[in-house]
Amino acid sequence: MDNERYSRQLILKGFGVEAQNKLINSRILVIGAGGLGCPILQYLVTAGIGTIGIVDDDTISLSNLHRQILYATNDIDQPKVKVAAKRLRLMNPETHIVEHELRLDKSNIFNTIESYDIIVDGTDNFDSRYMINDVCAILQKPLIFAAVAGFEGQLAIFNVKNEQGIATNYRDLFPISPLPGEVSNCAENGVLGVLPGIIGSMAAAETIKLVTGIGQPLISKMLHYNLLNQATYTLNISPGNDYFLPESKADFLLSNEEQLCPKTPVFEEIDLATMQLLQEEASALVIDVREKHEFPLLNKEIFLQVPMSEFNTFVQNNIAAESIVLLCQHGIRSVAAAELLQEKYGHTKKIYSLKGGISKWRNHFLTKQNE
Amino acid sequence: MKLEIISFGKISEFIRQQQIEISDVINTDQLKSYLETSFPQLAGMKYKLAINQNVIQSNQSLKNEDKVAIMPPFSGG
Repeated sequence: MDNERYSRQLILKGFGVEAQNKLINSRILVIGAGGLGCPILQYLVTAGIGTIGIVDDDTISLSNLHRQILYATNDIDQPKVKVAAKRLRLMNPETHIVEHELRLDKSNIFNTIESYDIIVDGTDNFDSRYMINDVCAILQKPLIFAAVAGFEGQLAIFNVKNEQGIATNYRDLFPISPLPGEVSNCAENGVLGVLPGIIGSMAAAETIKLVTGIGQPLISKMLHYNLLNQATYTLNISPGNDYFLPESKADFLLSNEEQLCPKTPVFEEIDLATMQLLQEEASALVIDVREKHEFPLLNKEIFLQVPMSEFNTFVQNNIAAESIVLLCQHGIRSVAAAELLQEKYGHTKKIYSLKGGISKWRNHFLTKQNE
Repeated sequence: MKLEIISFGKISEFIRQQQIEISDVINTDQLKSYLETSFPQLAGMKYKLAINQNVIQSNQSLKNEDKVAIMPPFSGG
């Protein structure tokens, strides 16, 4: 170890050689070498982490440069992993840089992740984030989660036990992934270059704290940061019970097919006539997912009432009907309910949502009431 | 009952930080349906509620001056 290189952190009270040795002996995998990945990599490499893996399959484009600060204009069209590795080796030749020029998928994620101590997620899409979360949860691998949207950022540490011996993962916050298009990303929404710089630097700080044991890392806490007013807000995460997580690598490889592919809904949005047909000919179970206080009230003999707020509990029971139609006031919550049923039943049941909901077909539902 | 609402990301575009005064809501399930009725855009979104900075995993009763946070998932990087 070159003491002079690390001298300013070696003389830090509460850090010193002991902490520096922990950094040198650690193996960190940074997934995504973009807006978040660049500052994460720079600060981890300069801090003296022993081995750093970089995962990315993308090439550098001009629109990346305002935030992806490892890259220069003459790097355009080059693979990010190659350019980042070259630059980082110059910054600190003492860190061993491993290039993983690939896109993580079911077939390679276990092999890529397994040999690292801590995983840092700086990816830019939910499919990758949920896959990384699930594999890290199965392997009980510490995961630093960093994400940005608009002028705000999120930062959390998962799969590390807190003082009560409890660990959490991303699904304890958001049990199922938003559908494509439901939440916009940087490409659609825009981002100020400095924001991933700030959140990425904070993620690097959390990684260093976790490795060296200094301070209070954000274990099972979600930090929110708002660049516009410099406000932070920290939430305590407790384990949830309303999601499915594979228990082992074998389980993951078997069960996760649907989740890793881009989601194509297997439920169908239907109109009133189709719903009536399904009721008559397929004896479909029709479920009203509105809360109990909402009007108009429907005939409970025809429409089973399961408010959205109780739906997760309801889903745990087995439904006998082969066809299920979900409805609500505007046809939005019924889509969320259909997704939950789809998660459980996949293609084994026919799941429908009444498009436009009760408000669109109000006359029909009001007449039904008067019968 | 008086509640303080804070929200993040896209949700803060239609639910501003505010104090609300509600009489018939006593727990988080009822609060969720109150919010989804008052702000229909919320009903179609993934979000998590926290009360006084603790994430809610099952229905929980509310008390006066509780601080409610509404958090959406972020994926950008």
